[in-house]
Amino acid sequence: MADTAVAESLAAAAADVLETMFFSTVIGEAAVSATAPADAVAARLQFSGARSGAFALRLTAGAAQVIAANFLAEETDEPSQAQVQEVVCELANMMCGSVLSRLDRGGHFELGQPAMADAAEVGGPAAVSRAFDIGDGEIAVFLSVDAQS
Amino acid sequence: MAYRVMIVDDSPSMRAFVRRVIDLSGFQVDTCLNAGNGAQGLALLAQQAVDIILTDINMPEMNGEEFLQRLEEHDRYRAIPVVVISTDATENRMQRMMQLGAKGYISKPFSPEALRRELERVLGVSNG
Repeated sequence: MADTAVAESLAAAAADVLETMFFSTVIGEAAVSATAPADAVAARLQFSGARSGAFALRLTAGAAQVIAANFLAEETDEPSQAQVQEVVCELANMMCGSVLSRLDRGGHFELGQPAMADAAEVGGPAAVSRAFDIGDGEIAVFLSVDAQS
Repeated sequence: MAYRVMIVDDSPSMRAFVRRVIDLSGFQVDTCLNAGNGAQGLALLAQQAVDIILTDINMPEMNGEEFLQRLEEHDRYRAIPVVVISTDATENRMQRMMQLGAKGYISKPFSPEALRRELERVLGVSNG
């Protein structure tokens, strides 16, 4: 599977999911930082099937807050940390499913349960990555496919 | 006409989001029941009738596939149309869920309009 096809699917899936389900617009691409911002949050999930591997995303704290508030339609109170984490996991789940469906519409896959992860440990050199500016912060997404897939 | 709807998803945020999107779409809801998995959905159905069910697939305790199988086995529940909401947009998954008894399928991300169209299609509602 070519990295360019994966990167294009990552970009398309991220923009579609963010705009349709989280009411956030991708303003433009950003550089994927090798080191996570100090306040970043991250989530990760495994997938298996025609391909197996892992998907992860890393958000700046500001981006995570805005996305959670948009998804929950919170108009007054800021979302709690637990709510932000639940929404970040939901975002990871949706983006991963959207990317895998785009890569192989006729394939099959099973998604694991998304969980919060250490922002400093997501990604890695084997992952195809893209990052996006959504105005209130940045989101980086990472997809690693196992070699035997 | 307003419909009695059940939303089955283990994420409270996702259930609230689906309800909000239904409202945004203009689809009329009479009552909306919430269940965290298929087992909770079956327990609620024993107490209260619904016109349509929207269910996730990946849930603890009783997932969407087993939920559909249990509904199909039950004389009273078999006729209730079920729409699956999933992140999985592959043909294999859609066919699998339809074979298990789902009448509709919508993959995330989805717009309010797309959700309403699918709900009305499975309910046989004419919007013309």
